[in-house]
Amino acid sequence: MWTQRGDWFKALADQGGWDIPKWPKDFGGPNFTPTQRYIFDLEMGKQPTPPQLPFGVGMLAPILMNYGTKAQQDRFLPGIRDGSVNWCQGYSEPGAGSDLANLKTKAELSADGSHYLVNGQKIWTTLAQIAHWIFCLTRTSSDGAKQEGITFLLIPMDDPGVEVRPIITLGGSHSVNEVYFTDVKVPVENRVGEEGKGWTYAKGLLAHERSGLAGIQNSVMGLEKAKRNAQKVRVGAGTLLDLSSFKNKVGVLEAELLALEFTEMRTLARVAAGGDPGPESAILKLKGTEIQQRITELNLEAAGVFAAPWGAEAFGPEFAHGATQSYLGGRATTIYGGASEVQKDVIAKNVLGLS
Amino acid sequence: MDLAYTTEQDMLAESIQRFIATEYDLTTRKNLVASDLGYSTQHWQTFAELGWLGMSIPEAYGGLGGDLVDTMIMFEEFGKGLVLEPTLSSLVLFAGALELAGSDEHKHHYLPALGAGDLTGCLAYIEADEPTNFNFVATTALKTGDHYQLNGTKSVVLNAASADVILVSARTEGQATDPRGISLFLVPGDSEGLLRKDYPTVDGLRASEVLLENVRVPASALVGAEGAASQTLNTVINRGILAISAEAVGAMAVLYQSTIDYTKQRVQFDHPLSEFQVVKHRLTEMFIEYNLAKSLCMKATMLLNQNSGDAQRHIHALKFLIGKTSRFVGQNAVQLHGGMGMTEDLAIAHYFKRLMMIDATFGHTDIHLDAFVQ
Repeated sequence: MWTQRGDWFKALADQGGWDIPKWPKDFGGPNFTPTQRYIFDLEMGKQPTPPQLPFGVGMLAPILMNYGTKAQQDRFLPGIRDGSVNWCQGYSEPGAGSDLANLKTKAELSADGSHYLVNGQKIWTTLAQIAHWIFCLTRTSSDGAKQEGITFLLIPMDDPGVEVRPIITLGGSHSVNEVYFTDVKVPVENRVGEEGKGWTYAKGLLAHERSGLAGIQNSVMGLEKAKRNAQKVRVGAGTLLDLSSFKNKVGVLEAELLALEFTEMRTLARVAAGGDPGPESAILKLKGTEIQQRITELNLEAAGVFAAPWGAEAFGPEFAHGATQSYLGGRATTIYGGASEVQKDVIAKNVLGLS
Repeated sequence: MDLAYTTEQDMLAESIQRFIATEYDLTTRKNLVASDLGYSTQHWQTFAELGWLGMSIPEAYGGLGGDLVDTMIMFEEFGKGLVLEPTLSSLVLFAGALELAGSDEHKHHYLPALGAGDLTGCLAYIEADEPTNFNFVATTALKTGDHYQLNGTKSVVLNAASADVILVSARTEGQATDPRGISLFLVPGDSEGLLRKDYPTVDGLRASEVLLENVRVPASALVGAEGAASQTLNTVINRGILAISAEAVGAMAVLYQSTIDYTKQRVQFDHPLSEFQVVKHRLTEMFIEYNLAKSLCMKATMLLNQNSGDAQRHIHALKFLIGKTSRFVGQNAVQLHGGMGMTEDLAIAHYFKRLMMIDATFGHTDIHLDAFVQ
């Protein structure tokens, strides 16, 4: 599996940077125009291609390219690109979820200015258990607004002061963690950009993260699959898909997906014309994740009472397998990367001008 | 119209509340979920001593002769505590079917023992080819002399592993979907030719696939007239729908209240979440939807209790509304708890999963909405 995965990304790289479609040419990217990139994503989304972990390639790399030193770029980008170094994102904290700027993990600069001493806790850190490095927002100053005094640090996970504790979530899976820092010494050369400017860098990154979370092509494929599943469920003389109550839900989703696809096209058109992606990226995340969740509900309904079996062995029709996990795990999509309620606040404030 | 509970009914609710408060915290429940049996025999004895197991069993058979309102009250309280013991399968479905269709001998033999907690039973009525239709029965029962021979597979049989006796629906005549020709048979759990594949369920309960290969039972194992079980199944499933709907009402009450409590103490953007209007409105909507579901649960219970001709329609409406409301309340409880709502450490996740399975049991929302509008 992993070999095939490696082969796949190598084959993409051989096409001239297709493994890093969003990276600019200077960093080995394919130099896609926004339209080309959209077509690329669309076609990739139509096939069950292996997903890339987003933390390095999609989230950290753009920050390093924009704000990192040449030395940092040379040191970290190759490992990010070839997948040999796994990254995780250290943003959320127990007291800083939707209100991310409230973060408290402290980074104190040593008297000689050579390193930061980091103490604190991160939470909901996805795949921290396999990460070699974490990119972190830390607090270097408590003066002024909360958004000031935040510094962006790169910390190796094998430091003895870093401890990872698993969190088991609703679907019974272990993908998120708590990460504790106790007197972790981080050399200043691991700081990205200026001290106290981390929030500005991260905000750009969050927008980046959000726009990737809509998963529209996955939803298009997922809905088709849900329809096929429902057709396998016998109800009276017909199937579940023949029930008007079920069929209507499918129809509503199909219509909304058509609209969402074209909303993405509008975003693209703006970017292609040299503009900012704008508020539509928030719309995409908001609607895209809701639609994802509703598709998992359709599959759950098709699974019916076979949603119940919850052991190592699978029971019931094959299409029912995994429906429960997807439904349960999918509840997180409207929470992470900015909860839907907060996304609406962002749109209200930044787009509609409602403060 | 008097909707107030009697003193006895209030006492019943209070006694279950006391039991849950003292015996059923989340850690205890998790340990029971992880245990071999999946529930506590000690609790089961307590249920018997407090009269909960005999509540709906007729007085002639050692029970308290309670009605469906008593059942509703009990399950609402069980739902608040996410009780794992096999009350639905053993009492509502198994004892219920015997009380409706069993011979006097069946009743004398089983009902007092069920009420005393000495015996448990369950009902095997689901088949994989059409799981939402209890009239879909491909399992066959062939009469040979003074025996019946059963062959077929029953799916998602709740509590089959711990049940002493499994009541199995099997076809004595007709096609797989024919309402006529379905019969019920008492099959001891340790019968030769009965093979179980047991598994835990996502909501912490236990179920099994039950394979019957030439299982022989005596003619006396037939419950009710041969071929006439569809009506019995319909009635006990209606009662089952009432019971788990009441359970959902109890679970939703806990969910909306704990979400209120959580949002009052969770501070983000320098304010408790409960001060944000969007959160206030959402909590209010949860409360409103919960109350509508509770109202319909009460009305359907009264109608079924009176054997009203309008009861069946209300049962369909209820099961639909309970599913819809459970999703709304459950999903928003998780959403408003944020990441915390996703963790197995908080009770929220466990209520959410139980509500999810209540929706899937006895047919989900679409099945009942469709039946309701027909």
